[in-house]
Amino acid sequence: MPCLNWRKENTPQRPKERRQCTHRESLAQFLAHNTVLSAGGTKMKTTHLCSQVGVTNTETELQLSVLLDQFSITAAKKVYLLEADTALSPEETAMEGVGQPAKMKCLEGPHLNQGPAKSCGSLAPEKELVSASQLEEEEENEGEEDLDPDPDLAPGPEEEEEEEDEKDLGDPAVLSAVHNTQRGGLSSPGIKIPDVLGMSPTSLHFLWQTLDYLSPVLFRPKFPSANSPACHFGHQLLLPDPSLFCSLPTSWPPKFSLPSHLTQLHPQHQRLLQLQQHSRMQSPPAKKPWSQQPDPYANLMTRKEKDWVIKVQMVQLQSENPRLDDYYYQKYYQKLEKKQADDELLGRKNKVESLKLVTPYIQKAEAYESVVRIEGSLGQVAVSTCFSPRRAIDAVPHGTQEQEAGAASSQRLRVLHHIEKMFLQLLEIEEGQKDGPPQPCYSEQQSKQVEKLFLALKTQEQNNLEEAADGFLQVLSVRKGKALVARMLPFLPQNQAVSLLLAITHHLPLLVRRDVADQALQMLFKPLGRCISHLTFHELLQGLQGLTLLAPGSSERPVTVVLQNQFGISLLYALLSHGEQLVSLDSSLEKSNSDYTTWTDMVVLIAWEIAQMPTASLAEPLTFPSNLLPLFCHHVDKQLVQQLEARMELAWIY
Amino acid sequence: ASQHRIFSFFNEKHLVLLRDGRTLIGFLRSIDQFANLVLHQTVERIHVGKKYGDIPRGIFVVRGENVVLLGEIDLEKESDTPLQQVSIEEILEEQRVEQQTRLEAEKLKVQALKDRGLSLPRADTLDEY
Repeated sequence: MPCLNWRKENTPQRPKERRQCTHRESLAQFLAHNTVLSAGGTKMKTTHLCSQVGVTNTETELQLSVLLDQFSITAAKKVYLLEADTALSPEETAMEGVGQPAKMKCLEGPHLNQGPAKSCGSLAPEKELVSASQLEEEEENEGEEDLDPDPDLAPGPEEEEEEEDEKDLGDPAVLSAVHNTQRGGLSSPGIKIPDVLGMSPTSLHFLWQTLDYLSPVLFRPKFPSANSPACHFGHQLLLPDPSLFCSLPTSWPPKFSLPSHLTQLHPQHQRLLQLQQHSRMQSPPAKKPWSQQPDPYANLMTRKEKDWVIKVQMVQLQSENPRLDDYYYQKYYQKLEKKQADDELLGRKNKVESLKLVTPYIQKAEAYESVVRIEGSLGQVAVSTCFSPRRAIDAVPHGTQEQEAGAASSQRLRVLHHIEKMFLQLLEIEEGQKDGPPQPCYSEQQSKQVEKLFLALKTQEQNNLEEAADGFLQVLSVRKGKALVARMLPFLPQNQAVSLLLAITHHLPLLVRRDVADQALQMLFKPLGRCISHLTFHELLQGLQGLTLLAPGSSERPVTVVLQNQFGISLLYALLSHGEQLVSLDSSLEKSNSDYTTWTDMVVLIAWEIAQMPTASLAEPLTFPSNLLPLFCHHVDKQLVQQLEARMELAWIY
Repeated sequence: ASQHRIFSFFNEKHLVLLRDGRTLIGFLRSIDQFANLVLHQTVERIHVGKKYGDIPRGIFVVRGENVVLLGEIDLEKESDTPLQQVSIEEILEEQRVEQQTRLEAEKLKVQALKDRGLSLPRADTLDEY
C-alpha cells in the first residue's frame, strides 16, 4: 500500500521537522519534498497551479478538480500554498466527521471525472500529512478545548484497520462514519460517490480550505447535511462549529442562502450558525479585516526560503557590464548617492544608507548548447534555459542594406539613422569618462573616439563641403541631434568646438526657424556658453559676422530673426558680453584697427537692431550678462542707449 | 544580510495591481521567483471616480505573470485618502454604470469608423486594462 508506506516513513520524521509545529509548515514541507504524485504522471508546475487559482470566481468545482490535478508538484518548485487562514484546529477535524458526506457530495461533480486511481494517488499522501500534522496540532492545542481527542481520521477505507491499530486517537465513530459513506450507506438523499473512494475527509477538508475563498457560500452550508450518521456523535462533535466559523476569514458573507436541497441542519448547528451571523452583523461594519495584533502568520517563509528567492532573482540580474546592461538603475543610484553625499556635506545627518541591490557573484554556467545530442538517440534534443527559452530557429536577419533613392522620407530616415549611430559612439565615450563632469579626455583611446565622432558629425560621408554643413544642420534640426551635439561639445577640443559654434551661428536663423516645433535649442546654450568663454577675439568676430551680414536676396538681417528667438538672443548676448570682456581686459585689442572697427560696427548695428525691434517681439534671454549696457554705452549715443535700456530692461524684468 | 532590508516586506499590507485591472490589497505571505504571490485576508478594491468599495476575498494565490506591480501600503498614509469608501453594492453599481457608458462610447466609435470604411483590430489579445 503506497500510501501507508509513505506514512510510515513520515512519522519518525515529524519531530525533526517540527520547527514551528504548524499545519502549514508541515504541509509546505510536504509540498516541497514530494515528487510526482498523480498516477497520470503529469508534472504540473506550481505556476500552473497559481494560474488557475486566484483569478476567477466561477466554477469552483472545476477549479477544485484542477487543484487536485495540480497538487502533483515537483520538488524543485517551492511555492508555499497556504490554505484558509483557519488553523486546522482539532475542532475542524472533528467537524470533518460531520461534514464528510456533504463534502464528498459537493465534490462529486468534478472529481468523478477523474480516474479514481489518480485521485487516490494524488490525495493519499496529502491526507496522510494532513492527518499527521493534525496530530501535531493536537499536541499543541491540548489545553484549548475540552474536546474528545482529535480523531485521527482514517486516511482511507483500505487503511482503516491498520490505522486503528496504530493510532490510539482513532475515533471509532468517525471511522464508522467514513465507513458508512464509503459504503454508500448514507441517509442523505442523492449522494452518489462511487468514485470517490480514494478520497478521505481530511483531504477533502484540506482541499475545501484551499478553495475557501472561492465560494464560501457554496461550501459551508453543505456541511451539515447527512446528519444522521453524525447525529449520534453527540454534542461534542458539534461544538466545534462556532470556532470553525469564527476562525473563518472575513470572506464569509453576512448573508448566505441554504441550498434548498440541503436543508436538514441539525437544530443546534442551525442555532449556532445564526448566532454567528448575528454576532458578525453586530460587529462594526467599518472594522478592518486586519488588526494590529501580533501576526500569527509572520515568518511563513523562512530566512532560507527568502534568501533562495532573492538569490534566484539576483543571479538573473548579474552581468559583466552593469553600466551597460543596467544603465538606468546605476545612474539612479549614482544620483542618489551624490545627493546624499551633498546632504552630508551640508551637515544633515545622513544615517540612511541607500539600499542598492548588489548582485551576488555566482559563477554562471558555461555557455550551453541549445541543441543537445544524446548518444545513441536519433536527432537532437532542444534544450531551453532561462536565458534562451527556445532557440528553435535562427531569427537574426542577414539581409543586405537596401539602396533607396533620395526620397525625402528616406533622407530623413538616413539622418535619423546617422544620429543613432553617433549617439552610440557618444555613449561609449561617456561610459569611458566614468564619474565626474564631462571634460576633454586625456586618454588616447578616448580622444580617438571623440575625433571619430566629430568627423562623423561634420562630414557625414559627404564629399561636398556645403553638403557637409548641410548634413550638420540636418542633424541639428532633429531634437535628438541637438541633444547629441550638446552632450558631445564638452568632450571636444577647443578648435573643433569652435568650428561647431561658428557653424551654428552662421546658420542661426535657419536653425531657429526649424526649431519652432521642438524649442529644444536651449539645451545647446550651456555647452556653447562654455565654449564661447574660450573664444578668441577673431573667432568671435567671425561668429558675429554671420549674423550681421545681409543675406542675398533679403532685406532683413539675420539678427532680427535671432533677436526674436530665446536661444538666439541668449547666444548673441553671450557673444557680445564675451567680446566686451575681451576688449576691456586686453587694451591692445583696441589698437588692431581692422578687428576693432569691425567689432564696433557690429555692436552699433546690433544695438540699432535691438532698438528697432518692438519690445513685445524681443525674446527673453536665458541669461542677461551685466556688461552689455556698458558696452553699448561705449559705442552708441545716449538716446539710443536709453532706448536700449528701456527695451532690454523691460525684457529682462519679464 | 543587507538584502533582507530590501525584502523585508513580508507580512506587510500590500497592494497588488493585476493585468486585468483588479486591485488587491492583502498581506503578502509568500513569494517565489516568478513573483507568484500568496496574499492573505485579501480585499479587492474597486475604484470608480472618487469612490471605492472593498470586497473581502480571503486568500489569493496569484500567478506571477499577471502581476503588474506590487507595493507596500503605508498604514499611516492609508487613512488620509481623499477617496470615499462606499458599500459593495454601490460600488458595483457604479462600476456597472461606468462600464456601460464606456461600452456605448466604444460602440459609437466603432460605428463611426465603420461608416468611414475603417475598422479597429479586435482587442482580444490586448490586456483589458
